[in-house]
Amino acid sequence: MTQWLIALALLASIAAPSRTAPDVTLRTAEGGTVRLTDYKGSVVIVDFWASWCVPCKTAFPALDALFREYHARGVEVLAVNVDERRRDADAFLAKLPHTMPVLFDPKGTSAEAFAVRGMPSSFIIDRNGVIRFTHIGYTSDVSSSYRREIAQLLSEEKQP
Amino acid sequence: MSQSVLGRRAVLLTVALTAFVCGACETVQPWQRGRLADRCMIFDADASQVAYMTHWQEAREGAAGGYGVQSGGCGCK
Repeated sequence: MTQWLIALALLASIAAPSRTAPDVTLRTAEGGTVRLTDYKGSVVIVDFWASWCVPCKTAFPALDALFREYHARGVEVLAVNVDERRRDADAFLAKLPHTMPVLFDPKGTSAEAFAVRGMPSSFIIDRNGVIRFTHIGYTSDVSSSYRREIAQLLSEEKQP
Repeated sequence: MSQSVLGRRAVLLTVALTAFVCGACETVQPWQRGRLADRCMIFDADASQVAYMTHWQEAREGAAGGYGVQSGGCGCK
């Protein structure tokens, strides 16, 4: 029975299809818009966060550190805020200085398009716009997984 | 009115009421839990005490989230 379950779990993990990232449009702090397809050709981490989400307080600076470390090598980090009230997000951001771009989606349209299942959620997208890795929640050991996955995606060429 | 007709009406009414009540059910998505995560939503008489204990537990366990209604760090619903 146990072997069957393990076999089934393995099969499920292999069969889990990679899917193309939805082409979402997000709002910048200045009021402009950004499309996810604009970043095709780069490795992109899309992170959904909110001011009320406790693990986001740990995940946010860690992602910003990844952005500072990998941005020069072609990695983009988009921190998508899903707070309903902008002032909640602004209060959170005032406490955590950052360099990565923060985008706003108060209606959660992009979170729905990505089928977010928990907060925070991160999606690592390869150069061809395919979601290759997903992280739900945040613990301190996730940072090393991010580094390994980014290195793998950076080593892959963009398909013509 | 015969008893069978009354019985049938009762069944119909129950089905209609059940359908009406179930129609109001909706899953709150993870990104919509801002209000649920508010401190005033803590199901306890003393929210400050719960917040203090949670903070103490987070420091002790070296992990945050997983308490209350905000979907925690585990991503569970």
